[in-house]
Amino acid sequence: MTVTPAVVEEEAPTKKGLNFTFPLEETEMGIVAGIIAAVITIYTGFPAVIKGVGLILAFLWGMDSVHKTSKYGLGTGVPSIGVLAIGYGVIGTVMGLALAEYGRIGQLYPAVLVGVLVMGVIGLVSGTMSNHEKLIAMKIPHLERAMMELGMAGTLIILLECSIVTGSLNFGAVVTNVMNTGLIALMFIFSCFAILHPYNACLGPDERRERTRMVAVEIGGLVCVLLGLALVVLGTSPYGILDGVSLIVFGVAVWVVFFRMFIKACMDEAYSTVGTGLIKTIE
Amino acid sequence: MEPVLMILIVVLVVIGGLLASLGAHLLPVGGAPAAMGTATGIATGTVQIMLGATMTGLFTAASVATFSDSLALVALSGAVGATVMISVVMFMANILYVFGCGVVPISGRVDVDPITKEPQAPYKTPQTDGHGVPNVVFVSGMMGGFIGGLGGALMYYALLNYAGFSAGTAAIGALSIFVANAIIAAYNIRGTIEGFHDPKFKRLPFALATSLAVSLLCGIVVVIAATVLGGAM
Repeated sequence: MTVTPAVVEEEAPTKKGLNFTFPLEETEMGIVAGIIAAVITIYTGFPAVIKGVGLILAFLWGMDSVHKTSKYGLGTGVPSIGVLAIGYGVIGTVMGLALAEYGRIGQLYPAVLVGVLVMGVIGLVSGTMSNHEKLIAMKIPHLERAMMELGMAGTLIILLECSIVTGSLNFGAVVTNVMNTGLIALMFIFSCFAILHPYNACLGPDERRERTRMVAVEIGGLVCVLLGLALVVLGTSPYGILDGVSLIVFGVAVWVVFFRMFIKACMDEAYSTVGTGLIKTIE
Repeated sequence: MEPVLMILIVVLVVIGGLLASLGAHLLPVGGAPAAMGTATGIATGTVQIMLGATMTGLFTAASVATFSDSLALVALSGAVGATVMISVVMFMANILYVFGCGVVPISGRVDVDPITKEPQAPYKTPQTDGHGVPNVVFVSGMMGGFIGGLGGALMYYALLNYAGFSAGTAAIGALSIFVANAIIAAYNIRGTIEGFHDPKFKRLPFALATSLAVSLLCGIVVVIAATVLGGAM
């Protein structure tokens, strides 16, 4: 039997370098996003655009947690863990808002972070029990940490969205403007998508974290547009209508930039692409 | 807040969470294989099916709660709403499978239907895991919808009347606690399940134990929030 010589592989076409590199590792990203988002959450006097930046950072944190958990295969699809995060987020938000008046200094509400911490604990408990050999035994490395981070990120996301729409973290104001208007349902499902959709859409053997994160930022932009519209309609911002309009402009700008970047990255990194005419080729 | 009311909130939230977990195990979850007609059940994940059924249940429960203070009536209306929703979904899935794909609704896990005693194995396409929603699975799915809707409505009632939340807050709070429990059940199921006759149903105690812990903590969170607010909202 003759040994066939190894096939000389054709040299892969040189890839263009990516211009979007977020230099942070998953842990660093969690710490940075968590701290910045928490600071923006507790001070409600910031303009909506800055809160939007915090929101996008929280989305990136949540997406990273989904990414590192779901790559081992959950068995029920990626969406489940994103919905779990926002479900925990809503419970934590109710808890945080209830405690908001304690230790309040003007527009600074440090007590809402208790809700974030409590959801971290509940996430840790559910992650530990899900991974425990004698219980559900999912056998996913670091599931405990990921579920904890998801609970915390989910709570920060819903708190930030409430803060954007109402301009404060007063429980009564949030109930009137967010819960009773039904806006919470939109927030729930759109935040779910911002967390779960990036990895759900990009997963596969050639998935790359940098590219996946572009989708998270892009959906964050769309959520900002939605919240900006709500802010304009409700008229709750202390800075007037300009606050909502600036958030819409910011959201559209973020969406355009990152959608372009994502399509470009996909086309650069794919071996070859065939245009369907649906998306105009960017060259 | 009175201690009795506090205990009642925690107990109702825990019962709701356990029922959510049990209901999720009874649903016909087909997942991706069912989308190709090669597995029994509805072609999506546990979370989506359970969420759809319970949302409907919460709508009916909330409608009834506007004119009734009866716990039994609100809980049952939620259960019936969820059952109607899941039945319609299973029926439409069957129409699509039978007339669209041309496959017979057949169970892949048992050779004889445990309820109607109809033979299953001769009609099963080789290399597949059943098709559509056969009788036993349909009955199990209705039971799952009923139990899940009951759990969701119980939580809604506790949050609305005992914790004193507004209708919107109570609905989204109940949905969130429900979702957390249903997802833990989904992780226990791992993919597809047919119902109570499925061998995977024996894993139920593990999910119930986890659900108990999670819903107990969520119930305590709700009690703390309600106590701090003093029934103001």
